[in-house]
Amino acid sequence: MLVEIRPTSRLRGKSAVDLSAALAPVLDALIADPAADDLDLSRLRVFVDWIQYRNGFSAPVELRPVVGSAALELAVDLRRTAGSDPDGVATAVAAALHAHRSGGPRDHITLEEWGPTRHSRIWGFNTLYWLHLRHWEEATGQGYESALPGGRSKARDVAPVRETIAGLFAIWDGLAERRALPEELYVVELGVGNGGQARTWLDTFVEMDRAHGRDYHRRLHYLMCDYSPHVLELARAEVAEHRDRVSSFVLDARRPLTSLAFLRFKAFFVYISNVYDNLPTDEIATIGQREHLVQSRAYLPADAAGAVAHRLGVPPEGLRTLVDKLLRLGPELLAEAAPQHFPRGTADAVEFWRDCWQGLRLQERYVPLQGLDTYEIAPGISGELLRPLLSTGGDMRMHVSNGAATSFAETLPLLHPYGSLQCHDIVVTDPHQYRVSFRGPGKYDGSVVNWVNGPLLAHIGARKGFDVAFAPFAPDGGHVVTMTAQVRD
Amino acid sequence: MAGTGAAHLLLPTSVIGSWSVPDWLERAKTGVHHGAVSRTQLADMHDMAVKAALKDQEVAGIDIVSDGELRRDNDVDYLLSRVPGVQAPNPVKAFYFDYLDLHLTGRLVEPGPGPLGLAPDLRFTLAHTDRPVRFSMTGPFSLSRRLRCDDHAYPRRTELVLDLARVLNAEARALAAAGAQLLQLDEPFLAGYPEQVELAMAAVNVVTADVPVTWALHVCYGNRYARPLWEGHYDFLFPAVLDTGVDQLLLEFARKGDEDLQLIGRHDWDRTVGVGVLDVKTDDVEPVDLVIDRIERACKIVPPERMVITPDCGLRHLPAPVARAKLHAMTTAATQVRERLLRESTG
Repeated sequence: MLVEIRPTSRLRGKSAVDLSAALAPVLDALIADPAADDLDLSRLRVFVDWIQYRNGFSAPVELRPVVGSAALELAVDLRRTAGSDPDGVATAVAAALHAHRSGGPRDHITLEEWGPTRHSRIWGFNTLYWLHLRHWEEATGQGYESALPGGRSKARDVAPVRETIAGLFAIWDGLAERRALPEELYVVELGVGNGGQARTWLDTFVEMDRAHGRDYHRRLHYLMCDYSPHVLELARAEVAEHRDRVSSFVLDARRPLTSLAFLRFKAFFVYISNVYDNLPTDEIATIGQREHLVQSRAYLPADAAGAVAHRLGVPPEGLRTLVDKLLRLGPELLAEAAPQHFPRGTADAVEFWRDCWQGLRLQERYVPLQGLDTYEIAPGISGELLRPLLSTGGDMRMHVSNGAATSFAETLPLLHPYGSLQCHDIVVTDPHQYRVSFRGPGKYDGSVVNWVNGPLLAHIGARKGFDVAFAPFAPDGGHVVTMTAQVRD
Repeated sequence: MAGTGAAHLLLPTSVIGSWSVPDWLERAKTGVHHGAVSRTQLADMHDMAVKAALKDQEVAGIDIVSDGELRRDNDVDYLLSRVPGVQAPNPVKAFYFDYLDLHLTGRLVEPGPGPLGLAPDLRFTLAHTDRPVRFSMTGPFSLSRRLRCDDHAYPRRTELVLDLARVLNAEARALAAAGAQLLQLDEPFLAGYPEQVELAMAAVNVVTADVPVTWALHVCYGNRYARPLWEGHYDFLFPAVLDTGVDQLLLEFARKGDEDLQLIGRHDWDRTVGVGVLDVKTDDVEPVDLVIDRIERACKIVPPERMVITPDCGLRHLPAPVARAKLHAMTTAATQVRERLLRESTG
């Protein structure tokens, strides 16, 4: 039996976890519980993690099978099990073993078939959140930004903006001297937040352009792009003073070229903030030197499903249909389509949405890959690109950041030969970080969050002619990283 | 087209140089740096890949073919690392296409015959096709931009560029002796340094001196990673390029538009022009009608008998099916324009 402990930093210091005490009930149950009698302990891996999100998708104890093998992984969340009643932990282990032996928990309401996590229903909920954000905010009484981790809004930091604009002026001056400066100077922002970044950027640009004296402002086009029409509307109001120079686009960050194809090789600066962590992702794991895809299946636990079903007056199994309709129609149309379940209309449908989201969990299993090249990270990007990241010795589980990779790969062609891309997000900057800490998924309010696989984006950038660098976001630090892509060679 | 074997043909079609690199070859090229593939195995793969590339071009109807530059990691390393005296302190790459960090600690020595050893590559190509072959080398100016050298050895970059040109001249002589009829110099970095065009053209003349072949010069705005490296206009080339000994000037017009074709007439360029009619930075295959339009527009400025129809640049970054489809569109379009011209001239 292999016991792997990821959150090693929690084992020392003032508030160190008593690991022996925490694992004792887990190991006792594995050895002594009758449900584990036919378990081959030599094929079992106990995977101990620390899931920092208050709202996540996993139970404190879960069993993850390896398809086509007798190997099993028992996942234990140390944050929720350490200090808990040992009997309760042992019971949870026994229940997980029992459920595994009987083909899975019978009282859960599964919402989908097994599949790559990037195709899971959780992303349908994520899309729903951004498309119907106004309803969610009305129900919760707070704006979406207040739910984000502290310090995520970088809108008012002028110093890095000044640095960027000064750099652009230097490039433009040089191009102008060689008669190679285009008439239109494009800047793109993907993920506009409250419009504060755009406002700060444009205000600063006007001021610096006046001092510089080349009247670049006349040629500037600032393109604000966001998936959420509601967010975009708020941002447009914020930059109303600059409306002559600003255009806005509702677009899926994974497919910027669908709206911005006219900008190929023309954008001098692309700014992306808090987008990549919110795009669908798979996870790949090496187990015994073989690559596996983590497949998942969304479900509602029995107690959560029972409570929601009771309130709506449907049997728990009826929730599958209602969730499908919710994700397909949105809360307004759902309330219209099923008024018998939502007598107060949209407000009831939003409450249903929030309850389902609160209860939503993911089961996981490992499916062997028949070679990394059979797996596609993003259109045209083979899984082979993961090999150097996975071949760093020992077993590894990491995000593929498919959505971020797709977006990044499709955004780079927008850049002018002298252009650059800057991204602020929560980013894993070294594959080793995957060995020592949990990086998602978690729930931020109504959306999904995963840390972005920075080394993978760096590989993708390199293959497309860009050097990708990471730096802590200054000045407040925190988890946010500044990722910059510059043309190489 | 004297000396290329395609002299009889109006509007001959040609590739610029590089051919689509299959994923398996990329993996093998990278694998050789990490011990997964031996040099012998890779050399065998290169032979197979070159033969396949030649066949692909022939099937597509290309009149003047190339070896696809498939033996080369990129446009610089294969040539520059062979220059006597040039060293690569760390010859291991993470990915084969990366540039090596190449150093020169002293002066380049007077080159012996065939200092880069490219003649076997040319002979192999000539042995596997009966069509005229375009064989390319990156030009001395662009090579110099990727070479670090000791300031004491070369206090002025001008001398380095001209010494590299002498090496290439020695190589060109060996290639001519091996059967080359059409040699091409590529200057992918020149557009980024338009103020140095006089030096670059002087170096071109050093390379071409007394080498009895048809010489072509290809200048583009870069195609590394299927991206332009620079932006601007070709006017910087003139009048300097008029003083070179090259017979063909191959330029990109498909992606940038053909506004700069006017320069050919304005500056009385009286030699062959290679007109780029395929955008190699997009996987979208141009419709034949669009390529016909591009050729017809060029015919209004450049006499057809002095025109070669080409892609904008090498096809390295395109998937093979796309490269084949684009070339097919180009040869079909060239055939249709050629037939129209012949009908009109005989009617």
